[in-house]
Amino acid sequence: MIEPLTATPLPDTIADMLNLGDGILVQLLTGLLASALVGTFMLLNTALAGPWAKRKITAAFTDRISVNRIGPAGIGTIVVDAVRLLSKELIIPEDADRPAYDIAPLVLASSALLGFAVIPMGNGIQVADPEIGLAYVFAVASIASLGLVMAGYASSNKYSFLGGLRAVAQNLAYEIPLVLTGASVVLFAGSLRMSEIVAAQQGTLFSLGPIAVPAWFAFVNPFAFALFFIANLAEVGRNPFDIPEAPTEIVAGYQTEYSSVYFVLFYLGEFIHIFLGGAIIATLFLGGPAGPVLPGIVWFTIKIWAVFFFTQWARSAVPRVRIDQLIEIGWKGMLVLSFANLVLTAVIVGVIA
Amino acid sequence: MSLEKPEPSATADEVGVTDDGLDYDALEALVAEHVVDRESHVNAEAFVVYPDAVQATLSTLKEEAGFDHCSCVTAQEYEDRFESIYHLKKFDDPTQQLSIVVPTTKDDPVSESAEPVFRTADWHEREAYDLVGIDYTDHPDLRRILLPETWQGHPLGKDYNQNQPQIVPLREHANPLEQDHRAGEDSDTMFVNIGPHHPATHGVLHVKTVLDGEQIADLEPDIGYLHRCEEQMCQGSTYRHQIMPYPDRWDYTPGGILNEWAYARAAESMADIDVPEYAQVLRTMSAELTRICAHLLALGTFGLDVYGDFTAIFMYAVRDREIVQNILEDLTGQRLMFNYFRLGGVSWDVPEPREEFFENIRDFLDGLPHRLEEYHDLVTGNEIFQMRCVDTGVLPPEVAKNYGATGPVARGSGIDYDLRRDDPYGYYDELDWDVVTEDGCDNYSRVLVRMREVEESAKIIDQCVDLLEDWPEEEREIQSNVPRTLRPDADKEVYEAVECAKGELGIYMRSDGTDKPARFKIRSPCFSNLQTLPEMSEGEYIPDMVASLGSLDIVLGEVDR
Repeated sequence: MIEPLTATPLPDTIADMLNLGDGILVQLLTGLLASALVGTFMLLNTALAGPWAKRKITAAFTDRISVNRIGPAGIGTIVVDAVRLLSKELIIPEDADRPAYDIAPLVLASSALLGFAVIPMGNGIQVADPEIGLAYVFAVASIASLGLVMAGYASSNKYSFLGGLRAVAQNLAYEIPLVLTGASVVLFAGSLRMSEIVAAQQGTLFSLGPIAVPAWFAFVNPFAFALFFIANLAEVGRNPFDIPEAPTEIVAGYQTEYSSVYFVLFYLGEFIHIFLGGAIIATLFLGGPAGPVLPGIVWFTIKIWAVFFFTQWARSAVPRVRIDQLIEIGWKGMLVLSFANLVLTAVIVGVIA
Repeated sequence: MSLEKPEPSATADEVGVTDDGLDYDALEALVAEHVVDRESHVNAEAFVVYPDAVQATLSTLKEEAGFDHCSCVTAQEYEDRFESIYHLKKFDDPTQQLSIVVPTTKDDPVSESAEPVFRTADWHEREAYDLVGIDYTDHPDLRRILLPETWQGHPLGKDYNQNQPQIVPLREHANPLEQDHRAGEDSDTMFVNIGPHHPATHGVLHVKTVLDGEQIADLEPDIGYLHRCEEQMCQGSTYRHQIMPYPDRWDYTPGGILNEWAYARAAESMADIDVPEYAQVLRTMSAELTRICAHLLALGTFGLDVYGDFTAIFMYAVRDREIVQNILEDLTGQRLMFNYFRLGGVSWDVPEPREEFFENIRDFLDGLPHRLEEYHDLVTGNEIFQMRCVDTGVLPPEVAKNYGATGPVARGSGIDYDLRRDDPYGYYDELDWDVVTEDGCDNYSRVLVRMREVEESAKIIDQCVDLLEDWPEEEREIQSNVPRTLRPDADKEVYEAVECAKGELGIYMRSDGTDKPARFKIRSPCFSNLQTLPEMSEGEYIPDMVASLGSLDIVLGEVDR
């Protein structure tokens, strides 16, 4: 067994560094500090991705230039956009069902941030490392569905309502394959603890001359990787599965009636969710923060951005499927395949071990 | 011309068909009991029939004489009577035309509806009722179509006072979006207004939709939001110069030059104006360039409807359309509202240096096959795209004909009908090209037809450029002699159509001896095509309805006029 990359969670490291000793208060303080650090890091990534990188990437795919006025390569647009969006009028529909209407965006954004608590980001950055890490991530990530239903229902708008319903149907259909495929990784790693899943991928699968291919689960079981990747696209609602929003069909789905700060929260929440999806993929299949030369946190960032990049690619080039086709793919295709994958993995692991 | 004329055997058993055109006496004998009188229009003979014999006359002509295409319904008011004109054609041979004129009295303008015979008459007669004020008995749903329900008077009627403001204030108009629930509390259906402001309606179209879950139980397009009185404006303008800029504003995707040709053809036919051959080649070339523009935009927006917002297809299509627009700008001086045609010719020759202009066109044409390949890779070859579009929005050929669908919509349903070949004008019959049809009858076929038509247009342009390059300099005549003021003889009537990007664009004009038309009627292809939307969409999913709407490729400017 190879030593896990993150032996001690971040709060303990902070406590050691500041020589705070032990105690409930210290734990609270260091936990808060660690969460703030991780949260700020992820929000920074989102700020970069949402108003700027997304535009630049899509523009590159579609033969355009995109933002280029403020700052180098238009990066100053992040500030401008933030000010613009926050200074808009917050319009709340007359028949909105409050407080559900107000809580929904918060639920969406916070559920994704909560997930990052157990993600090992390398260089000892991990807020907590509970035994049930993976189950926890899936659990908090799916709270988002609740936010979407609340938004769809509380907006008192038929398009929102349709969008909310679509979101639930979609998440139900894809959450199960997602978790089942994740379970096949757990069978390999023998643990739900995130640090141990990462540690299990440290070995070398085989060597191609001087290049050692690591035993990342993406290489060990590419089939599960592909399944997980597709189910994740559906989970974060990006093409070809952007049906809950589907602008040309139901205007903007559950977020039709949201403006100003609430809109920002929705937008933010979606992007953090994409990054959380990327983080789960990186941890389960791409060796977490592992990688040569560069420090772990950099590799981790590269990996989640790669997943983000992929979602933008799909968005630019792939048509969206119809809702009935989506449900069919989910229940009749992905579910069956993920069960097959789980059983096969169990058999293989059973035979080898 | 590579495609031969339709087989003569197909029409041989139809009454009145002879080797040298229609035998109108035989046709008249067929419906003799209903015919009061006969008129001679420039394009065809017209039978005047009793207002209570419309259905009998039309169904006899449809079944026994093969007039299966009710191209247009024109309504107008004279000093002493109202008149509805049904312009009939044959899908097999649109040069065989016949008009049925139905006069009604001033004080009781009631006439029988043609809707049971031709479904397309539904909207056309609603428009006639709305703008002119003729009542049609037996019509299933005679409401106003372009103007709001609370409008007072019929604007194209003689006693309508245009200077008197409408006294019904906005707040007393029925709010078109007010209706929220169509069924009772325990119903399974939900009523949704799609539009007039919705990302997928391609303009201000309002679709009243009843949903059963995600499926469409009932659907009714509500048009008129972009009605700009185009017909009336044309009636107030002189034939010679003032009307020509208006057609550019009907289909602004841009289909401008194609639209201009519709007016040019009707006016030239009415006033008996010849167009020099060189100008015909210029017209043909510029029209086909416009068609490529329009079809590329149709493809791009269809991509938006099926793919989602920021996808590559739309931007790629616009990128290529941009090149064509630059060429058209060089030729006409305009990017959208070309105003290039003149009666009897075109406004100017190709820009100097000619070689450079032709070089630009050739560069575009050379790159086009590669671009189309790219589109086929990206769009039509995509499996998800096929999943979405094959066998959705099905429009069987009989239904399409009944609704008077034309253009790519009809050709996507396997109807081999293209006025450029079947009712030749311009230089088309001298050139080598094919009419594209697809038999799928679905959204996919309609997209394929447009993409393949771009190839055919490229073929036509290529040949035109060859011709223009070799044209002797002293024979480059772009304009024939046309009197400064045109005053066609009074009571001359003409209905002529051309194949524009969306289908058959027809113009009916009646002269009263002055320099302005007494009645100017536009037969918009989108207007007829849009009528088929409920047929395509009922029972389908919302996304399929959106895709069908995209595949119809309507321009609201042309639907509402």
